[in-house]
Amino acid sequence: MCGIIGCVGRGDRTVETLLSGLSTLEYRGYDSAGIALANGSIDVVKKQGELDALEQVVDTTTLSGSVGIGHTRWSTHGPPSDRNAHPHTDTEGNVAVVHNGIIENYQELRDELEREGVVFTSDTDSEVVPHLMARSLHEGASPRDAFRDAISQLEGSYAIAAVVAGADTIFAVRQDSPLVLGIDDDAYYLASDVPAFLEYTRDVVYLEDGQFAELRADGWTVFDHEGTETTPTVDTVEWSAEQTGKSGYDHFMLKEINEQPTALRQCLSGRVDEVSGGVTVDELDDLDTPSAVQFVACGTSYHAALYATTLLHEVGIPANAYLASEYATTHPPLPNDTLVVGITQSGETADTLSALRNAESRGAETLALTNVVGSSAARECDHALYLRAGPEIGVAATKTFSSQLVGVNLLVERLRPSGSPTGELRSLIAGLRDLPGHVQQVLDDSTALELVDELFGAEAFFFIGRGLHYPVALEGALKFKEITYEHAEGFAAGELKHGPLALVTENTPVFAIVTGDDEEARKTLGNIKEVEARDAPVVAVTDGKAEVERYADYVLEIPETHERTSPVLANVQLQLVAYHMAARLGRSIDKPRNLAKSVTVE
Amino acid sequence: MTISSAVVLAAGEGTRLRPLTRHRPKPMLPAANRPILEYVLDALVDAGIDDLHIVVGYKRDRVQNHFGASYRGQAITYHHQTKQLGSGHALLQAEAGLDSDFLVVNGDQIVHQEMVRAVIEAHTVKDVATLAIVESDQASSYGAVRMDGDRVTEIVEKPIDDTYRLLNAGVYAFAPSFFSEIEQTPRQHGELALTDTLGTLIHEDQQCVRGVRATGVWWDATYPWDLLSVARALVTRGLVSEPETDDGVYVSPSASVHDDATLEAPVVVGPDCAVGPQAVVGPYTALGRNVTINAGAVVDGSTIDADSRVGQNATVRDCVTGESVRIGAGTVVSGGVADVRVGTDVHEHCRLGGVVADRSEIGGGSTIAPGTLVGSNVTVEAGTVLSRNVDDDVEVVN
Repeated sequence: MCGIIGCVGRGDRTVETLLSGLSTLEYRGYDSAGIALANGSIDVVKKQGELDALEQVVDTTTLSGSVGIGHTRWSTHGPPSDRNAHPHTDTEGNVAVVHNGIIENYQELRDELEREGVVFTSDTDSEVVPHLMARSLHEGASPRDAFRDAISQLEGSYAIAAVVAGADTIFAVRQDSPLVLGIDDDAYYLASDVPAFLEYTRDVVYLEDGQFAELRADGWTVFDHEGTETTPTVDTVEWSAEQTGKSGYDHFMLKEINEQPTALRQCLSGRVDEVSGGVTVDELDDLDTPSAVQFVACGTSYHAALYATTLLHEVGIPANAYLASEYATTHPPLPNDTLVVGITQSGETADTLSALRNAESRGAETLALTNVVGSSAARECDHALYLRAGPEIGVAATKTFSSQLVGVNLLVERLRPSGSPTGELRSLIAGLRDLPGHVQQVLDDSTALELVDELFGAEAFFFIGRGLHYPVALEGALKFKEITYEHAEGFAAGELKHGPLALVTENTPVFAIVTGDDEEARKTLGNIKEVEARDAPVVAVTDGKAEVERYADYVLEIPETHERTSPVLANVQLQLVAYHMAARLGRSIDKPRNLAKSVTVE
Repeated sequence: MTISSAVVLAAGEGTRLRPLTRHRPKPMLPAANRPILEYVLDALVDAGIDDLHIVVGYKRDRVQNHFGASYRGQAITYHHQTKQLGSGHALLQAEAGLDSDFLVVNGDQIVHQEMVRAVIEAHTVKDVATLAIVESDQASSYGAVRMDGDRVTEIVEKPIDDTYRLLNAGVYAFAPSFFSEIEQTPRQHGELALTDTLGTLIHEDQQCVRGVRATGVWWDATYPWDLLSVARALVTRGLVSEPETDDGVYVSPSASVHDDATLEAPVVVGPDCAVGPQAVVGPYTALGRNVTINAGAVVDGSTIDADSRVGQNATVRDCVTGESVRIGAGTVVSGGVADVRVGTDVHEHCRLGGVVADRSEIGGGSTIAPGTLVGSNVTVEAGTVLSRNVDDDVEVVN
């Protein structure tokens, strides 16, 4: 999981363009970074550490050339170090390569090359590519043929860009890892993700798997896997470069938490109509109600999937949520007429894509619930429902989870078998339309910051919830552990007494989510008393209807609303708790250790 | 001269507009159905400014969150004033971001690009400061000035004397040297106002501050009822961002208006609004984003802010609401002229049906007497008659 970038036609500003592009890709990995510029020869600078470390070295080095590639790395093969940083070169330094993905047969290729006397300087799988290219070049191949020849020997997933001394061209290819071209009037770009060149152009070409691209100062060309020139469509992206700035906030995460009212408005706009009481999703016009639904997702998105299954059960459609990384290897049975829904913010999550491909190969209809238009998931699935949450840069998903929960509601209402009571739908639509204002209320009035002072120094943090609040308990714990590095676990409230209660002490605060005053709330109240009896500090996240305040040591209030939308509000409170605790602990909130935003390796 | 940078002062609360400012500063209150600050930024961008700086302070999340990192493609840099110690102190926060002559504009008063252009054109390298000057019979309620030719010879905040006819419109151009002038100005009760520094400058040298007489839009909402007259002026002139669907009727394409509802011009209906059957909305009415007007409700002369709901058959006249307000079915805000108590002062003969601040919920069948200010997070039981102001966070039972 890494980020790559390339540009031609930027003249003296090539280095600056590569570095600013890499800074927007840092969320994809940040343990080392490097750039290479091609002129008569190849100049490479690379450095372990965050991008700042590279920027400092670049300042003291003279680099020339207007054809350049760059890379920001997150280790999969070999520890972070200068020598494992990309770009990688061949022995003579005539070829430089950046790679995102995993080359599965690299050991065989490496053994073969080493037998031929090639000396490897890194532990990475990627280094085989420049050596393979060099071998072909020695045999007299053109740079283009040398690149194609090297790629043809690779197995695995990759987005690769290469430059060759003396050729003013970037050679690139995509296979199961994201790669986008940016088309400007007099300069061309490639990157793992659009924001890397959004400052310069909004016209983009999403490469398909197996496609090759060449960028030259005088133009760009895309070839299919057989080498035939193709004419891809140029799309225009709607995000502006400024949208990815921090706009006065200390962290992207806090900015994105605060953006949730806007993100939810965008997700709902034009899709719910309170006057006529209907839900319309233009993208899903040709979607029929299936007999069953399977969700595949990872991490935070998996929690949205769990929430979704509960909603589908309410409308009478059998549904299951699977961890995408388990799905492809366990092959759950796929009855006829099953819709498989992949939930992935980036649309590039490798595990989710692979689960979707597995389902597709077994004949299922597929749908992507994603935030990124034109992402792999959106293009490969039969249907796509877009979240419209805007770019999310913080590694810990916040606004996109809220948008996923809303998106799931839209999907479920779209799939709801006909003849459902309209009164129920109207009250849901009212709840959804109230949601942006309610989230704003939570943001304005939250006491999470004060609560963090009270709970600071606790040994572990537990989160419990029941029904639709169970996924929120899991998500609350995940967010907390991701950015605070403290021990946090989420449980179904009723499960506590079947084991986890053994962990509960006076030093382990328990966050309990309770809304409404129905049977479910009363049962959770019973679970709260269980932990209260073990002297654990109880934090109730509640709308106040169940009078949970009596048993709680602290209360995080949320407005009273529809039962389906209250989990969104409870989650916002837990996001704020995690954020403020991480800030208090001085953690690297936007880039937590060992994690990357979109996990594009399996 | 050419000026490309501007500093917008948006850090103050605007206490005279309480209870509407509980959760956001005055620049974010609605003028018709957009924040006041949007009009200010429009004026700057329309006048060719491409480097925007906003000084934020009180409830700054609301400003940063609404505008993000840019407005209409022009980058915004935020400067944080942690304590609101006056407009001069606010401007000092932005010093690091500026190296040539720049504009300063109040973020809480509506101006139009003509006034901004007039200041840019009049300002020369010889001027330390240039001010836009507006002629008004209310000069003594603001920063009043006297002029001699194109020079400002006196500036005084809210003079007792009512012979002043010119006021400082809060649109300035300054040379970078103005920062050191601010730093040298003695603080009054710990605060540092821009006008104190201007006063000192004028006192020292009657030639160094230029005034430029400007015409065009200049509106200030000092008190809650002023928001209604500002909205009236904006919708009447069509200075709103929604497209005109009928003469004087401006409706966002994402709004949903029932075929049997009536929109009376001039009126503006924001994005994602829902207007039910038999509802009558307008004239002189602005609905913010995602507002719901239920069947049979009548809303007239009012500004209804984002996410609010007006229940079936309610009547709401001359009313300002905050965000996420609930007006119950059949509730009557009868409107008209009244005496309004703001803090300890009573303002007579103000057209104000009432104010209902953020997230308050007025139970069905209630009556709000003209001039009543209802605070934020207030819950009013159904069937209540409200004729006195209600503080924030109160539950009213009848």
